[in-house]
Amino acid sequence: MNALEISNLTKTYPGFKLDDLSLTLPSGCIMGLIGENGAGKSTTIKLILNMIHKDGGTVRIFGKDNGQEFELAKEDIGVVLDEVGIPECLNVTQIGNVMKNTFKNWDESEFSRLTGKLELPQNKEFKDFSRGMKMKTGIAIALSHHSKLLILDEATSGLDPVVRDEVVEMFSDFTREEDHSILISSHIVSDLEKLCDYVAFLHKGKLMLCEEKDQLLAEYGLIRCTKEELETLPKDAVKHKRENPYGVEAMVLRNAVPSEINVSPISIEELFVFMVKEAR
Amino acid sequence: MKGLLLKDWYMMKKYCRMYILITVIFLGVSIVNTENLFIVFYPCVLCGMIPVTLLGYDERSHWLLYSCTLPYSRKQVVSAKYLIGLCTQVAVLLLTAATQAVAMSVNGTFAIGDFLILIFAMLFVSAFASSISLPFIFRYGVEKGRLAYYVMIGFVCAASFLASNLLGDRSFAASNSVLIYLLLGVFGLGIYALSWYFSVTFYQKREL
Repeated sequence: MNALEISNLTKTYPGFKLDDLSLTLPSGCIMGLIGENGAGKSTTIKLILNMIHKDGGTVRIFGKDNGQEFELAKEDIGVVLDEVGIPECLNVTQIGNVMKNTFKNWDESEFSRLTGKLELPQNKEFKDFSRGMKMKTGIAIALSHHSKLLILDEATSGLDPVVRDEVVEMFSDFTREEDHSILISSHIVSDLEKLCDYVAFLHKGKLMLCEEKDQLLAEYGLIRCTKEELETLPKDAVKHKRENPYGVEAMVLRNAVPSEINVSPISIEELFVFMVKEAR
Repeated sequence: MKGLLLKDWYMMKKYCRMYILITVIFLGVSIVNTENLFIVFYPCVLCGMIPVTLLGYDERSHWLLYSCTLPYSRKQVVSAKYLIGLCTQVAVLLLTAATQAVAMSVNGTFAIGDFLILIFAMLFVSAFASSISLPFIFRYGVEKGRLAYYVMIGFVCAASFLASNLLGDRSFAASNSVLIYLLLGVFGLGIYALSWYFSVTFYQKREL
């Protein structure tokens, strides 16, 4: 079963349109939603969670439409938003009590274990937490009710590198269970590169691509050469290029490049930047 | 919905201490000054505004967005606030009623008819006041809904002034059946229920 199926999702705002978005997150996989600020990542997540109303299309979570009996489905979804959303006056103990009375599957001992592991103070008010601590609290909640799908909206942005690494590690642990899936949006592509099985590029409300990460990395490569050298390559091999004073950097289709030419591996970040610049 | 109520309870304990203080002061003053009905009515109306205060803090902490990710419907989010409002208003109404009964007895002016009229009028004013504000706030958010809050304050002042004149006039109170005021109180509760319905409808349509 797919954890998430989005078909022809559309939402229009003045000056922005999320245009006919379709993507599928198979169960047991991690998908990174990558895009610049304003590309439509948060709009997509808000539509998935019914925070805003769609103009068209469907969203199915674990095979069920998110417009019907969504409250039940939310028992299995853990969400961490950019602004975590916990009332500022609550401390960790009180948060645990509120969630215990919210989720049927709330696991008090798991929450206690996670908050201990993440070194979250039990009696400090949420407003006095650093951004990293706030995010860790959101993550601890999301992981303490046996959720099967994590939806993370910019959950790693604004965190220092050490905390980010810890958090990415926790998400990796979560997906060790084969029916656990993650949809994570971020503009910090390096985090997603470590974590994701699938990547979806969003640009100005449109899906540029949605593919398996390993497939993409196997399919594309990077060449650094002179302009003249680039012109000798088959035209269909060069997908995007970037000129600089020292030569040319080009994103190429590996299997279309003659074998004697050295093709370097390309990162997801480089792929994304190439594609966005080309699309502008 | 238990989680929502518990969260609001924690927030009330933190943010609504001033309401308790003001209520106690007004209740104390109302024993001495039984003529000014604004003093009698105000604690009830003020505590009816607790849901508005809580919604303000909810918005500030982005809780309204977060609550959409929890296994609650929007109807439950609205209902929790109305339930909190109802409970606090009933609690303060009972306190005020007890205080007024004592004050009237001490002054030797206690009459069951006048007492009931006062309680039912208070029930109407407090229920009506919060009924005006909440649908606007659920529709437009706390910032824009503030206008409704000012309208409500104006209503309370006008209603208190009117009630002071009417209830202060013993011949008027005597010539009017308690039943009319009972109906007025029930009407206030009806408006509260209608207000809940509109709030649910508005909030379900709102984009967060």
